[in-house]
Amino acid sequence: MNSLTTQTPVPPRRKRRSKGIRRSWPEKLFDVCNYALFALIGLSTLLPFVNLLAKSLSSEEAVFAGRVGLLPIDLQFGTYRYVLEDEAFMGALRVSVLLTVLGTACSLLVTTLTAYPLSKPRLVGRKWLLLLFIFTMLFGGGLIPTYLLMHNLHLVNTLSVLFLPSMVNVFNMLVIKNYFEGLPDSLEESAKLDGAGHIRILLFIYLPLSLPVLATIALFFAVAFWNDYFNAMIYISNPSLKPLQLFLKELLVSSSDFLRNATMNPDQALNTAPQSIQAASIILATVPILVVYPFLQKYFVKGVLVGSVKE
Amino acid sequence: MTDGNPNAAIAPRPNRRSVWNKIRADRELYLLLLPGLAALLLFKYTPMYGILIAFKDYNIFDGMGGSPWVGMDNFRKLFESEDFLLVLRNTIEISLLKLVFLFPLPIIAAILLNELRLMAFRRTVQTVIYLPHFLSWIIISGLFIDLLSINGGLVNKLLGQFGIEPIPFFLSNDYFRGVLVTTAGWKETGWSTIVYLAAFSTIDPGLYEAARMDGAGRWKQIRHITLPGISPIIVLMLILRLGSLFTADTEQILAMYNSTVYKSSDIIGTYVYRMGLGKQEYSFTTAVGLFESVIGFILIVSGNYLSRKYLRRGIW
Amino acid sequence: MFRKIAALSLAGALTLSLAACGGNSGNESGSDSDKPELKMLMQYGRFEPNDDYAAKAISRLTGYPVKYDMLPAEEADQKLNLLVANKEPYDLMKLSAPQFYSLASSGALEPLDDLLGKVGPNIKKSIQDASWESAKMDGHIYGIPETGSGIAVSEELAVRQDWLDELNLQMPTNPDELYTVLKTIKEKKNVIPLTASKDAVSSLLGDIAAAFGVTTDWVDQNGTLVHQVETPQMKEYLAYMNKLYTEGLLDAELPLNTSSKMMEKFANGQAAMFKIAWYNAPSAINSLAKNDPNAKVSLVPFLKGEGGKATVFAASGTTWYAVVPKYSKHKEDAVKLLDAKLSPDIFKELAIGQEGVHHEVKDGKYYPILPKFNDDLNNASSYMTGVDETNYPTYWQARVRKDPTLQSYFEQMQANAEGLIVTDPIALAPPIPQVAENKLNLLQLQLDEMLNFITGTEPLSAYDSFVAKWKEQGGAEMTEGTNEWYKNSKS
Repeated sequence: MNSLTTQTPVPPRRKRRSKGIRRSWPEKLFDVCNYALFALIGLSTLLPFVNLLAKSLSSEEAVFAGRVGLLPIDLQFGTYRYVLEDEAFMGALRVSVLLTVLGTACSLLVTTLTAYPLSKPRLVGRKWLLLLFIFTMLFGGGLIPTYLLMHNLHLVNTLSVLFLPSMVNVFNMLVIKNYFEGLPDSLEESAKLDGAGHIRILLFIYLPLSLPVLATIALFFAVAFWNDYFNAMIYISNPSLKPLQLFLKELLVSSSDFLRNATMNPDQALNTAPQSIQAASIILATVPILVVYPFLQKYFVKGVLVGSVKE
Repeated sequence: MTDGNPNAAIAPRPNRRSVWNKIRADRELYLLLLPGLAALLLFKYTPMYGILIAFKDYNIFDGMGGSPWVGMDNFRKLFESEDFLLVLRNTIEISLLKLVFLFPLPIIAAILLNELRLMAFRRTVQTVIYLPHFLSWIIISGLFIDLLSINGGLVNKLLGQFGIEPIPFFLSNDYFRGVLVTTAGWKETGWSTIVYLAAFSTIDPGLYEAARMDGAGRWKQIRHITLPGISPIIVLMLILRLGSLFTADTEQILAMYNSTVYKSSDIIGTYVYRMGLGKQEYSFTTAVGLFESVIGFILIVSGNYLSRKYLRRGIW
Repeated sequence: MFRKIAALSLAGALTLSLAACGGNSGNESGSDSDKPELKMLMQYGRFEPNDDYAAKAISRLTGYPVKYDMLPAEEADQKLNLLVANKEPYDLMKLSAPQFYSLASSGALEPLDDLLGKVGPNIKKSIQDASWESAKMDGHIYGIPETGSGIAVSEELAVRQDWLDELNLQMPTNPDELYTVLKTIKEKKNVIPLTASKDAVSSLLGDIAAAFGVTTDWVDQNGTLVHQVETPQMKEYLAYMNKLYTEGLLDAELPLNTSSKMMEKFANGQAAMFKIAWYNAPSAINSLAKNDPNAKVSLVPFLKGEGGKATVFAASGTTWYAVVPKYSKHKEDAVKLLDAKLSPDIFKELAIGQEGVHHEVKDGKYYPILPKFNDDLNNASSYMTGVDETNYPTYWQARVRKDPTLQSYFEQMQANAEGLIVTDPIALAPPIPQVAENKLNLLQLQLDEMLNFITGTEPLSAYDSFVAKWKEQGGAEMTEGTNEWYKNSKS
């Protein structure tokens, strides 16, 4: 470890003005506007969720008539009890958590491993390798051949079909590669002088310096796995392997679709989910993934690279 | 900051022996590349033969072998359909509108967020503005229909205060594109700032301090330190964004449009969706997808070329 | 050394994670009786199909262990084709009419004629000849048709009776009177006089359209079937609706209204009239009552047309098909299961449960025992694979008696519609290829254009060019196919 540890980054210094400098009035005005702007934007994005929350806590009669705004009417908690006691919901939640954790871990690992070599300009064939990857961002074989492949690999109706194929995400790989390219070449050179191989350089020098981008990409992966319903819709038929977003999607789609086709299937129309339950399900399906962000947030507000290497 | 530009591109072509030596020297790098490359080849390239479906009259029960070749018929069907020119124009126009108005937004938002000094406020705002990313278009559509309703919607009530007649935003070919762009911005801007916020961490705070010593104001600091600092990621995002210039977010438009605004908002994706309802037109949809992909690929390659030429950086 | 070890361990970790990622779920254990476990693919429903009471009752009563998978709510056709093309092991499937046509015509389904003769006596008894016609292709039976709960009217215009009383308005009986009523409401109450939804062509049709003579998809004109879009009545109807729309009597946001939005506007007192479906009556009426305790709602008797006669369209025909895929390994057992489910006693229990536990009989009518009936049998109809066509309409009405509002709206609608019902001439036709192929996208085109004509986005003078477009996009082909069957069926 010896020689490597000396190069770990020093804690970044906070950007902060020294007290002696007074701000000019245009700067103050800018600050006021900026705070006001973000307060407004923040409200506009928050209010729909407050509305959903209020709906989920209101009586169905009030929700049905569109009377619920930002506060619940006829406060009740029965909807949450209903959703949390619903075996299908809880089962789907377990599948989603497992999928998100496994998927993010596998994908982050493989994507980072791929990005590192491709960030080295001297790598022979780099241009063609990159094109090989980027090509798949636009071109694909389509659903039928892909389904056939999964079928032949015996992946249909397994959890793995939901994350193995998306293990290399080219977009995310390019973002990491881009970040790695921004790290000074001298990092690698000095480590090599110390006799470190690429795996050590990646693990002990690049990764600690790349926490912001890794946190970002981890978030991208986690959210993508959490939000994915399409793959599950196609590759999963076993109801006990359905992830949460598919469950939610069907809850919302089915109520509108059944109403549309109800003349032929009145029984199904009778069984659509009340809107208050739909709202509670959306809230319960969104909160777990929202919690991830504040944890990752701390990694990308600081200047990590500061002072690690003087070029 | 180092520039990602390799000198290798300018260097004279090395002979085979030295290429081999280079590969040998970097064999560890290739080893690292292996799992990703293997997954790519297996999951993305093995099914790639499916592109041929575009040139067949494909029937899923007959399979690839059993379905007859039809050459360019599926493409002809697309290009010759009555509404093709309209939907093509709409696609490009809506996409360009979104590119022009929405691409810079997250960058501006990220920079402004960075100027917020109250950490608690800043973190809260960051967390809150990415919330809409988690709402589906169906829900957002319902939300904005209510908000912009001519029947007691908040916006028209406000306009009424100024004596403006209610505007049927969702039913007017003049306003509907504005609704599309605004809602897309509302949904994704917060989410898209994340990648730029992460990029700020690569900038050395010492640079700002030095600039302040020289008496540079905020605007100067943004122009000369922040923007150059995150320019690599901006360029990357822009080039990749070019690839989807021919797809204007079908899911959003499907959830929001209605027949009275087809004239201004029917795009390739929604048109093909309606025409294919109840049919399993694998070949036609594959052909349309292939058409979009080819254009997207050309745009990405040219974008990269231009970026290399004028900005001296690119994806490859 | 370190490098190699690190490289190896990384590669190892990766293989491990791949293997862990790729771990398959275990196989189902085979059953030990002579009745094999059957696997059935059902349509989407909002419940866990293997835990439901109905699933357990089926296994208990027939002796067959059955495992259920569901199609997704969206992209169901796409998924079904992938499953069948890759021969995913199902022994039974419940299909919609277009799905049935698509699989039967591609040769993926087992013809059931022989098996029905051998092991299907109950099935043959339960289903009437007319229904069997709908499941035949080229003279062979490819599925068990499920006709549902009998012919019933499901929607009728509803109006705020308290407002009619307040304004001294009579209940309208024809389109002209309706116009006057709507106009008065608009002037005096400043609410949306009539609201509607844009969800489907059927939500734009109904009472008013019927008064103009637009009811069924197909109309017999001198022995030839003509589609409703080609009739002059459709144009007259659209002209009337356009008048309502431009004068502000019909909801200006019609092209945006989902059915829940439409009901919301009625329930919160923003709208005076809408077309209510009996199955939505409890939520709509209860919500309105809570919002405005003085509100009173009446059904508007079906409007009379020019001849002074009202007509009502009622959906009928085969909704679902139970089929056996050709590659199934348990074809005979599959049909045996279907047959057992249709033996009279078992069918009754699967439909309305046990007497004294799930239902009771009063004056010869079946009434549900709540909440047991709901808890156990809410999803029972999703498991059905053909019905006892003589008795099911009677059994089924127990479902309507779960709630007094539900029951009263259902019964009043049926009473209002008595003697006025018309059904589609092709309701019991077997799947007609040209119809199966073109129906959905033509319905979308029709819906879009009807909305455009009603809202005035396009002038009615452009109607003929819409019909031309409709014909070109498959309408002509569909008309031809329909008439081909119609002529043969009559000869």
